[in-house]
Amino acid sequence: MPEIHAHKAECRLALRSQLVDLALVWPWVDALAAEFAIPADSRYAIDLCLEEALSNIVRHGYRGEPDRAIFIQFIPNGRAGLTFIIEDNAPHFASPEPREQDETSTSGSELHPAELKPGGQGIRLLRRFAGSLRWEQLPNGNRLTITFPHPPNSSGIQPH
Amino acid sequence: MKISSEELDGGITKVVLEGRLDIEGAAAVDLKMNVIAGSSKLLLLDMQQVSFLGSMGLRSIVVPAQTVRRRGGKVVLFAPVKMVEEVLKASGIDALIPIHHELSSALAALQ
Repeated sequence: MPEIHAHKAECRLALRSQLVDLALVWPWVDALAAEFAIPADSRYAIDLCLEEALSNIVRHGYRGEPDRAIFIQFIPNGRAGLTFIIEDNAPHFASPEPREQDETSTSGSELHPAELKPGGQGIRLLRRFAGSLRWEQLPNGNRLTITFPHPPNSSGIQPH
Repeated sequence: MKISSEELDGGITKVVLEGRLDIEGAAAVDLKMNVIAGSSKLLLLDMQQVSFLGSMGLRSIVVPAQTVRRRGGKVVLFAPVKMVEEVLKASGIDALIPIHHELSSALAALQ
């Protein structure tokens, strides 16, 4: 990924494949939010999506194997939005087709409590709070590109 | 992430959550949440001070709620902030655990 040097905040972050390393992400996003005046609601959506995407890589991509690499790049795209590119060297991940990976119905009133699978909300939340998502297979890993609208249309998240 | 609880009239247990209910926060409260769920039948989860809720945090709410409901109890969520409520609704969890913004209605729902 190309280096970006024009900003005060570092636009790249390298992590190890450990959940404890996610603690490094939030101060990094804090710095980006301050430099690029990211509104609070957009910041919330960014935190939510990064936590979900990164924890999925650690738990499912690398299957708990520690000390593997995860790279995050931030690209401020002006009116096009705020883009985060996450790359790993994990086995190829089949990008979920729309709705196929949702583990519960979107019709909340029809839900039976037993159908609400704890921890099974990740893809649904990514789709709900990210502006756009794109999964790609790299020769030796995966790339997920998440773009958030900036400035947000209203609440910082996309409509249903 | 902080968690505290108090017993209210009518056998209601009020649990106050405070902070970020992310992966780290969820790990910090899971044990106490499960202990409370194992001994309470009427649970009011005060979400006013929860500033962030992610998918692992949802788990910290759903698992104890299912425990309480399996024992014939009730759970309500009280006063989540806007974005936390968005997450609760996007995940459909508000169908399992009703959300109330008035304490009186939250308590009434547990009767």
